[in-house]
Amino acid sequence: MIEDIRALARELLEKSTVECVIGYEVGPTGRVRPAFVYEPAGVERLIFDARCYHNLVTYLTRRNKPRKKGEEVPTTAVLVKPCDARSLQVLLNENQVQRDKVYIIGVACPGMQNADGTPELRCTRCDQRVPLIYDVLCGEPPEVPAVTDTYDDVERIEALPLEERLAYWLGELDRCIRCYACRQACPTCFCSVCEAERDDSLWVGIADRIPEKAFFHIIRAFHQAGRCAECNACEAVCPMGIPLSLINRKVAKDVAQMMAGYRAGESEEPTPLVTMLTGEEAIDEIH
Amino acid sequence: MSERTSNQVDGFEPKIVAFLCNWCSYAGADAAGISRLELPPNILPVRVMCSGRVSIEMVLKALMAGADGVLVLGCHIGDCHYGSGNHRTVKRIPLLRRLMTYMGIEPDRLRLDWVSGAEAGRFAKITTEFVEAVRALGPLSLPLREGL
Repeated sequence: MIEDIRALARELLEKSTVECVIGYEVGPTGRVRPAFVYEPAGVERLIFDARCYHNLVTYLTRRNKPRKKGEEVPTTAVLVKPCDARSLQVLLNENQVQRDKVYIIGVACPGMQNADGTPELRCTRCDQRVPLIYDVLCGEPPEVPAVTDTYDDVERIEALPLEERLAYWLGELDRCIRCYACRQACPTCFCSVCEAERDDSLWVGIADRIPEKAFFHIIRAFHQAGRCAECNACEAVCPMGIPLSLINRKVAKDVAQMMAGYRAGESEEPTPLVTMLTGEEAIDEIH
Repeated sequence: MSERTSNQVDGFEPKIVAFLCNWCSYAGADAAGISRLELPPNILPVRVMCSGRVSIEMVLKALMAGADGVLVLGCHIGDCHYGSGNHRTVKRIPLLRRLMTYMGIEPDRLRLDWVSGAEAGRFAKITTEFVEAVRALGPLSLPLREGL
């Protein structure tokens, strides 16, 4: 598969179909990191294996910076796993990326692995092995596993009594250092000025204290409602090991439950949080 | 004298922030005042143009800043002055309530309801009910308050 990816990248760059190929490479310390290849010779750096957990789609919105009059937005090629492709679909739905400005290199995904070789938890409950959107697919589609995501990790927290839930989250979120790595890694977190850093309204403060930290994460998770592709990038990059997927997956589970099974990035429909009622929802009565 | 609950002995008076949409619920609140209906004094009304304008940041900031409960009142579905503003509210607030519960905040601290401009009695009933519901819960957990 890796030779196919390199050959494809070489061709795209030689013909100037794209300005840049975003993929994965091995960094100087031996760890896999995102790669930005601008020259055909550079494609030899590209790799793809079970260490490539990063969601590269997040880099596409960075290329949306304002350009001089007449300057063309460059076309970018990006390597996407099935989870990454879901966040790309969300960006396309929200007009953050133009379809003709992105060349989508889909990869058939065998599932990612932790550093110790065990499969990543999220991959053990994923039944998508081929991205839902791509221009070209690299790799042989592996057998689709017969798994269903039951959100049992979320249900375990839901089953705790309220006081224990509060104590659990205050304990976990106390470690947050407001580094915003989760926000930076997230493809659908692309506000040019983050709500949590606006000093003109300051809905949630920047203090390194529990109320601010807890509410920052509640707000950020809510902003991803119906948009989070559950790619796990936020939890993967958190330097303090906070189980952020438990918050984002809770919101995704509730959106699916209350809004007719909606899942982010699986269609061209935007998040139901911004559309009119269809009458098919099953929203909680809290009157 | 209206009935008092036992918490009255402790002296805890809940602080409630109520977001009222300009066209329906705020008018309903005005009508309740003009009709001299008995209203709980615990409510801090905040007029917004539409209940759909009430963002989760507003609700959570109210709780952080000292509110023990937040009430969001809008037009009935189908009657929104802006057409579908309350469609946003009806999806947003229950989803927020579920997330708040998951993070350990009592769900009964957030209530969404519809009050039209003519429903003075309904405004009085909902606000009284909500204040009593929050009184029974006690103040919001201390670690969640900012500025301490």
